[in-house]
Amino acid sequence: MAMTTVGTSAVRRGLREKLTGEADYSADLKLPGMLHGCILRSPHPHAEIQSIDYSQATALPGVHAIVTPFDVPPGRLAPDMAVLDTRVRFVGDEVLAIAADDPDVARRALDLVRVEYQPLPFVLDPEQALKLGCVAIHPQGNLANGQALSLERGDVEKGLADAELVIEGESWIPTHSAAPLEPRAALAAWEGDFLTIWKSSRGVHVDRSALAAALGVPEANIRVVGPYLGGGFGNKDESRLGALTALLAHRAKRPVRVEYSREDEFVAGRVRHAARIKTRVGLTRSGSITAIDTAAVLDTGAYLASGPGVARRAGQGGLYLYECANVRYTATLAYTNRPVAGSYRALGAPQGHFALETLMDRAAEALGMDPLEFRLKNRVKPEGQPGRRESPADQIIDSQPLEGGIPFSSNGLEECLRRGSDAFGWGSPDSGPPPDPAKKRGRGMSMMIYRGGPGSDSSAEVRADRSGRITLITGLMDVGEGATTVLAQMAAEVLGVDCQDIDVVNGDTETTPHAPITAGSAATFSTGTAVVQAASDLRRQILQLGVIGLEAPAERLEIREGFVSVKDDPSRRISLAQVTRRMEPEYLSAKSTITPGSVDYIVNSFGAHFVEVEVDTDTGRVRVVDYVAAHDSGRIINPRAALGQVEGGVFQMLGLALTEELVTDGPTGVTLNGSYLEHKSPTIQDVPEIRVIFTDVADPIGPLGAKALGEVPCAGVAAAIANAVFDAVGIRFQALPLTPDRVLAALASPTDASRGPNAAGG
Amino acid sequence: MASTGPISESEIDLVVNGRTCQLAVRHHWTLLDVLREELDLTGAKKGCDRGECGACTVLLDGAPVYSCQLLVMQVAGRQVRTIEGLSSNGVLDPVQQSFLDHDGGQCGYCTPGFVLAAKGLLETNPNPTDDEIRRALSGNLCRCNAYARIIESVRVLALEPIQPEA
Repeated sequence: MAMTTVGTSAVRRGLREKLTGEADYSADLKLPGMLHGCILRSPHPHAEIQSIDYSQATALPGVHAIVTPFDVPPGRLAPDMAVLDTRVRFVGDEVLAIAADDPDVARRALDLVRVEYQPLPFVLDPEQALKLGCVAIHPQGNLANGQALSLERGDVEKGLADAELVIEGESWIPTHSAAPLEPRAALAAWEGDFLTIWKSSRGVHVDRSALAAALGVPEANIRVVGPYLGGGFGNKDESRLGALTALLAHRAKRPVRVEYSREDEFVAGRVRHAARIKTRVGLTRSGSITAIDTAAVLDTGAYLASGPGVARRAGQGGLYLYECANVRYTATLAYTNRPVAGSYRALGAPQGHFALETLMDRAAEALGMDPLEFRLKNRVKPEGQPGRRESPADQIIDSQPLEGGIPFSSNGLEECLRRGSDAFGWGSPDSGPPPDPAKKRGRGMSMMIYRGGPGSDSSAEVRADRSGRITLITGLMDVGEGATTVLAQMAAEVLGVDCQDIDVVNGDTETTPHAPITAGSAATFSTGTAVVQAASDLRRQILQLGVIGLEAPAERLEIREGFVSVKDDPSRRISLAQVTRRMEPEYLSAKSTITPGSVDYIVNSFGAHFVEVEVDTDTGRVRVVDYVAAHDSGRIINPRAALGQVEGGVFQMLGLALTEELVTDGPTGVTLNGSYLEHKSPTIQDVPEIRVIFTDVADPIGPLGAKALGEVPCAGVAAAIANAVFDAVGIRFQALPLTPDRVLAALASPTDASRGPNAAGG
Repeated sequence: MASTGPISESEIDLVVNGRTCQLAVRHHWTLLDVLREELDLTGAKKGCDRGECGACTVLLDGAPVYSCQLLVMQVAGRQVRTIEGLSSNGVLDPVQQSFLDHDGGQCGYCTPGFVLAAKGLLETNPNPTDDEIRRALSGNLCRCNAYARIIESVRVLALEPIQPEA
């Protein structure tokens, strides 16, 4: 089918407003009589609050409301998180909140609060936290989620026994922050029993449910609006921000706005799970894989947040990226008295892929095989993993299954490997020795698999009004990645109109149907499926209306360029507006709610990355000099926006690979580097030239052929870079990030310093 | 710790986007706070409030500055230009238009700052090299990492130097 809108780079929706300053983000909003809220945070990593004396604070002129752990509603934001708690669990945990006439007064008031803490023993290391006798951070203990995740296909012990060679590895990935440029903010206002809250959100409907449960207010009495979002990357929200803002506004009987500071965002936002991952791979001398065994310990910090999802994703590479009958994955999530780990773009996949793809490079090396040749041989094929399907025939296949015997809807991994390596020039000499002998060049690669696409049940409504204007209504948030642009293109494609002629209403619980959070790279596939279905239904209704004007049966009609016309006689046509003018109702509407996915296939996205680095052995600095990223995300709906997703994902993970680590001070539990200067994210001077390749092959299940994209490029970046650094200097780094310090130490003492902080052997 | 003493205020003339406004300001207020909270010019964003991210960038006498790092008292009487003053009558400035055409932003939070930093660069150096573009914009962070599209947006303008305004 020839596409007219899909495959074109429609201008990103809202970009014009962002460029002129008209786009309002949560912290840009004001209401008459609005107060400013401030949050007091715990200075202790673990303590019981004995008492709070706020008499001086509330006596300060201009202070209007206070919320403390002793006067919050009993509802919970999550099973392990109260609205406020007398137990604080990390330095930065919320203690209380105050609203005042202006931020100056609110901050003064916080200084006048006297909190009596009973400090408790604390633990910062997840493995220590799981030991018998360790202080319990939550009543049920420090094993978060109650049990370890344990998955096995085939028989790993037998696979390892059958191996002619076993390679073992251990990897350590640090906590780092997505650090979206917008610190989260919320503005709450009550009218009687009805709450309206505008907040930084990745899902207004899910935020509403959480607020309703926490505040004890019916969902019908809460409206959540998501203004423009200044970067999501998974971590907005799961925090207490919304509930505290709503309570302050309720008590003050005035609107209240609360903004996180930059340091708040680093410390009390949500971070990526630090992970220690042990891996083993069994091999035959001929280069086949007999077993893959992965065991991860993940640090979820003080609260669980999206920990279980992260734990699963950290295992997907080991369970599914390589063809192997015997695989096992265990994951243990531990509470610690550290900042809360939640979802950060690609969840656990960067951790899991770092461990797996550095291990597989070592496997290829041990076998004397080229890393590309090893991966081409052992990659999971389109028919999926060996084994027999266990899921019932009518059951939608989890896009992250354990079982074998299920094919992929499409699998462009081989094409990614071949086209990416060709473009990169893999196998040809690197770009030549740098003139400075202290600088060493090397090349590395990784491949990646990502669950994405099929997410939760998703809905969409598409309307045509009497003027012929089309409106797409979805509860989804556009978190800055361009979901609304892509969804409008999909609707436009089906309806035969220009995507500029489609209005999008989204991100407001009052005007949109229920939607999941924008997460897991699911928006294009899942909501897109609903959009295509609803738009197809609306198209059918419009054609039915066109029958009278054009005097031809609906089957002979089509919509093209905003006109309803007769297929075999395009000169007979009338504009959409002339058709819709005839209708009885105010507008035509088509709604769709779908459960995304397939009963026959796994829907996954794939990629292969190739990178050249230059290591300065005098300074320890690693510079990326060339990068090729090849991706199978099905048909690409908007090539320029897709390009931005891949470039952005790769560049963002340069931080994980080379510079970013959120450091907690051992003796005090204090986060030492909650700032952009010290938690160093890539700047425009740090990013390399990058070439992006899309296989751009339509997936048979995905809406208009699309699969997941947004998070996929993040998975393999750190692994590819570490493999290139090995090629340059001959050191297998087991720990990230590859900072100059770590590189210099490893060059001086290769066996110790390449490991993580706790494995360095003192 | 916040001061507990009295808050001192003064009246100043602030020239923003060519218009002079008389304002009573507290001495510790930054230019960014006054733009956002007193003048409702929220295009300048508070990404860090400590001179690290560049989201608050405005032009001061034509040069890009972090408005979070200037006390408003320091800029009384000087020419402040914000993103709201860049386009006129709905017509985008060429820099804005180029960012729109080349997808030079994703979530958009850093976008006004990048546009003004690029504007400041192009006013003094109408034909910058890639290295000069990177250096001039290195004080602005983009956490969507749309850097390649941002460089492209500015590079295209460098090919055809823009005319300085009358």
